[in-house]
Amino acid sequence: MLPPELIVLISIAAPALVGAAWLYRGSRTLSAGFIGVIAGGIGGALFMVPLNYCTFEADRTSTDVAFGVFLIALGAVIGIAVGAGVNRIVGSGKGISSLTSEQNTAGTFKGTVIPFALLAPTLVILALFLYAPALDNLRLSTLLARLGTDRTAFVCVDNFTKLLEPRQNYGQTLYATFLISFFTVIIGLAISLMIAYVAYQPVRGASIYRTLLIWPYAISPPVAGIIFGMVFNEGAGIMNHLIRSGGGVPVQWLQSASIAPWTIIAASVWKSMGFNILFYIAGLQNVPKDLIEAAAIDGANFVVRFRRVIIPMLSPITFFLIITNITYAFFETYGTIDFLTRGGPAGATSTMIYRIVDNGLNQRDLGSAAAQSLILFSLVIIITLIQFRTSGRRVTYGR
Amino acid sequence: MSRRSMLLAALTVIMALVALAPAMAQDKIQIPVWIAFTDSRLDWSRERAAEFNELFPQYEVTIEGYADYESIFAAASLAFEQGTQPAIVQYFEAATQDARDAGFEGNPQFKSVAEAFGDRTEVNGLPVNFDDFVDAARNYYTLDGSFTSFPWNTSSAIMFSNKTMLEAAGVEGIPATWAEVDAACEKIMAMENAPANCITWPNHGWFFEQAVAMQGADLVNNGNGREARATETFINSDAAVAYVSWWKDLQDKGYYIYTGAQRDWGGTYNAFVAGQVAMLLYSSSDTTALTNDGAAAGFDVVASFYPHNQDVEYAGNLIGGASLWLSNDLSTEVEDGALTFLLYFTNTENAASWHQFTGYVPITKSAIALLESEGWYEENPNSLVASDQLAAAIPSSATAGAIVGAFPAIRNHVTNAIEQVLVNGRDVTEALTEAKELADETLAEYNLLYAGE
Repeated sequence: MLPPELIVLISIAAPALVGAAWLYRGSRTLSAGFIGVIAGGIGGALFMVPLNYCTFEADRTSTDVAFGVFLIALGAVIGIAVGAGVNRIVGSGKGISSLTSEQNTAGTFKGTVIPFALLAPTLVILALFLYAPALDNLRLSTLLARLGTDRTAFVCVDNFTKLLEPRQNYGQTLYATFLISFFTVIIGLAISLMIAYVAYQPVRGASIYRTLLIWPYAISPPVAGIIFGMVFNEGAGIMNHLIRSGGGVPVQWLQSASIAPWTIIAASVWKSMGFNILFYIAGLQNVPKDLIEAAAIDGANFVVRFRRVIIPMLSPITFFLIITNITYAFFETYGTIDFLTRGGPAGATSTMIYRIVDNGLNQRDLGSAAAQSLILFSLVIIITLIQFRTSGRRVTYGR
Repeated sequence: MSRRSMLLAALTVIMALVALAPAMAQDKIQIPVWIAFTDSRLDWSRERAAEFNELFPQYEVTIEGYADYESIFAAASLAFEQGTQPAIVQYFEAATQDARDAGFEGNPQFKSVAEAFGDRTEVNGLPVNFDDFVDAARNYYTLDGSFTSFPWNTSSAIMFSNKTMLEAAGVEGIPATWAEVDAACEKIMAMENAPANCITWPNHGWFFEQAVAMQGADLVNNGNGREARATETFINSDAAVAYVSWWKDLQDKGYYIYTGAQRDWGGTYNAFVAGQVAMLLYSSSDTTALTNDGAAAGFDVVASFYPHNQDVEYAGNLIGGASLWLSNDLSTEVEDGALTFLLYFTNTENAASWHQFTGYVPITKSAIALLESEGWYEENPNSLVASDQLAAAIPSSATAGAIVGAFPAIRNHVTNAIEQVLVNGRDVTEALTEAKELADETLAEYNLLYAGE
């Protein structure tokens, strides 16, 4: 292992060099390079200084070292990204106002005092109830901490690296999370769009149908869990009763590790459908009739009209729904899972959020729960970024 | 009066009432109590609290219900951290060590009830008599020589059989050993109109602990954690492997049905009442409900001892359930009120009524005497089984029950391992050994934080 001073030096110098090169390449000014050096250097130290470079101590495993290098790289990326933003402001020579778009300056506040005063109530609440606990969570994730005591012990990144041990089955947790989330969103949106399209047709009593369709949204996830628990109960449930009376073999809806996730998906889709339908009906009402008529006159049949006109016109709604549904699938399925399977059988429906609550509250391991919630937090940020970068560009806002 | 002034007058009255209401309520000494029931057991408790509030008008006991033991445990820890803990909180037996260790900034969360009572022989005219508690509860909750918490709902794991179905299958008597359960199941499943499966029980750590204790084995080291702080678990002991192997074998033969979720009390209960299984291992806490529900469904329910391993001498069972913990740092008047309520809540009549209403064992000897004199057990033989089973236990560290930190988390490692055996067909010894390693790690972390060891 390298001497500690050298590690500190490398962890700051390397990102600083990368930052300088990156920013200099963009604007070819010395000041940009200078900002790059500072941003990269601070970024490299961002996670390591609070951790006191503990991942590189002599008795640490190679996993810890690798995780330490990853944290330095992550800090560097964050630092350089911030540096690039600073560089834009400095480079434009106009201060903060250069971040707002040029053409839309009518009605903006002069100065900085009044806008910030008006933002203050929101900012204070966000800082108190969101940012401060989030920062505290960062600290908690490096501690051995249990519910019921204020005594803690610093354990470096053990809470993270422990999850890599095969017996922790964290891979299974990730798999269950992605399986359930992906299909909840895809199936949920597809069915919702279909139902919304039918409910949108001008039929007698349309408003009654629409109201009834939105109903499931008003039901809390645990109640959805109870309802589906009764429907899918192996012995006494309606589903197996129907299958049996049809002469089929009863299905182990909740007992089989391969079927249980799909039962959860079905319950989650049903639960989120009302919300999706509501937005799709609203979206459909905004699709200009003349566009559809024009397409029809051009000889486009229903399928083509649906694919080429309606779906593109709905893309802002779909984009919004994908984001909200991902958030729903990641965070709000806890109640449904808890009532249907409790993460079982054998962890097959133990999603990340379920495991966080279970580890943190039921098993009282706050440190591990904090670490896991940071992983979930990063994942959702990454997915949302990808989402904005890819689909975000293809969204048509109709003008 | 104009409409407007009438409105104003009404508003004034309302505001005055709102302002006065807390002041009026504060005349009484508030004694918040949290218990982990939301069903009829909460109603029963609230009725007792209402009676108490009438008898002692200076106090106002309010009872709040929580969904289960696990969630009340978490909620009380958080409340204590924020300084809003109730005067009395019900913790399950597995949380005993955690409750003893709980505290913030060097301030313990709970006060030993023995210490709170001191050498008083009565509080507000209600007699204090620790000797009246039944032995099994006394043995469990006596730690370092005295009561740390107040015993209340105490149960044991027993077996319930659908006697009608057993008789139809030609099973004589009630199975008392693992082998007899196997034999009975063979007959039951061979019937023409056989049920879907023969037996079930929840995958809850408690059933595992019972089975281990019944074979005379400790769950943790240092005299099951009663001589000194436990530092190692024995989750993969021979007794444990034998039990889980028997369980898995029952499942392989199609006798045992796993409902798919851990700690699934509801699903297993329903399977028995719906006649999908002939036998159910369950908590005696629901003896009355199970007996009545079975009768309503048209079959006789017979309660019996938890079946034991015929190859090992029967060592006896241990208790389950929960006790009532007294919060630390209460003002003297609130603490006295809380102690008065504890005494009233478990007095002879209430202990007997609680037993009749639920199936938890009568917690005091005087309550048992009262029930006997009323002829209750002759009419309700099922209700006697849990008390008999606990009385039959040979006193030992195994049957006193384990006292260990992070017990709920350790239980979770156990039930996870059993689930891997039942659902994924994992090897019993391998799964339990891994659970032991994980549990030992959890315990080491716990001991490091709480005891600096």
